[in-house]
Amino acid sequence: MASLVPCPHCGMRPKEEFTIKGAAIARPGSHADANEWMDYVYLRNNPLGTYDEYWHHTSGCRRWLVVTRDTGTHEISASCDVTVAVKTGVAA
Amino acid sequence: MSEYRVTRRSALGSNALRSERICISALPEGHVIQVMGKEGGPDLGAFLSEKIGGGAKFAVRIAAPFQWYVVGDRALSPEETDTMLDTLHPHAAGVDQSHGRVRFQVEGAMVERLLAKGTGTDVSVEAFPVGHSTMTLIGHIAAHVTRVGEHAFEIMVLRGFAESLWDDCARMAQEFT
Repeated sequence: MASLVPCPHCGMRPKEEFTIKGAAIARPGSHADANEWMDYVYLRNNPLGTYDEYWHHTSGCRRWLVVTRDTGTHEISASCDVTVAVKTGVAA
Repeated sequence: MSEYRVTRRSALGSNALRSERICISALPEGHVIQVMGKEGGPDLGAFLSEKIGGGAKFAVRIAAPFQWYVVGDRALSPEETDTMLDTLHPHAAGVDQSHGRVRFQVEGAMVERLLAKGTGTDVSVEAFPVGHSTMTLIGHIAAHVTRVGEHAFEIMVLRGFAESLWDDCARMAQEFT
């Protein structure tokens, strides 16, 4: 796991300041059927490579972020506030 | 009815640890107002400084995006606090945290070395200039750190953690005293 995580608001911070929620994937609509919810809640692809995740800067600015991390090398290529991610379509 | 009366006492008392290269001292338990602006709203720093910070230096500190702390050494009466909170309306909402957060100051030539032992934040003056503040972990305790001088930082921490963080800082200062 990467030791230093770039927070768009606070700068480089140690990973201990963060809480990781998991994959940043689009939430199904309210009328989605059970299969779609099953996929959303329980199923993950676990790819080798670039992965978008929700990170919470718990001991810092307390903002939810979308951190783009390589699951093979643990290098972080990008991070942005979740509101920005929603606007640019990275997260929903 | 308990025979023991509940009495108010300060979290850190008038503690101080003084030496030539490092000095840690408790600050008065005055007021701490947390201000929450609107998501995507304007920077209220100047507004807060003028309207409720009284223009005092370092009175307004950034807590997070759209959030600030307004701090001061003077304890406010409930009426004064209400007036302050009313002033924020409708730009932001405020919460009185005066009894919830405690401040102390760490200063001296070795202050950056001391803090670097506990936090992953870059505290060099280039990355963390005077007046800058941020929330970070010092050891396992979340604290709000403000640089108030080239060799001086103010640390604000939740009251219940104040003594622990004080002890941690004192231990980190041991080699410099």
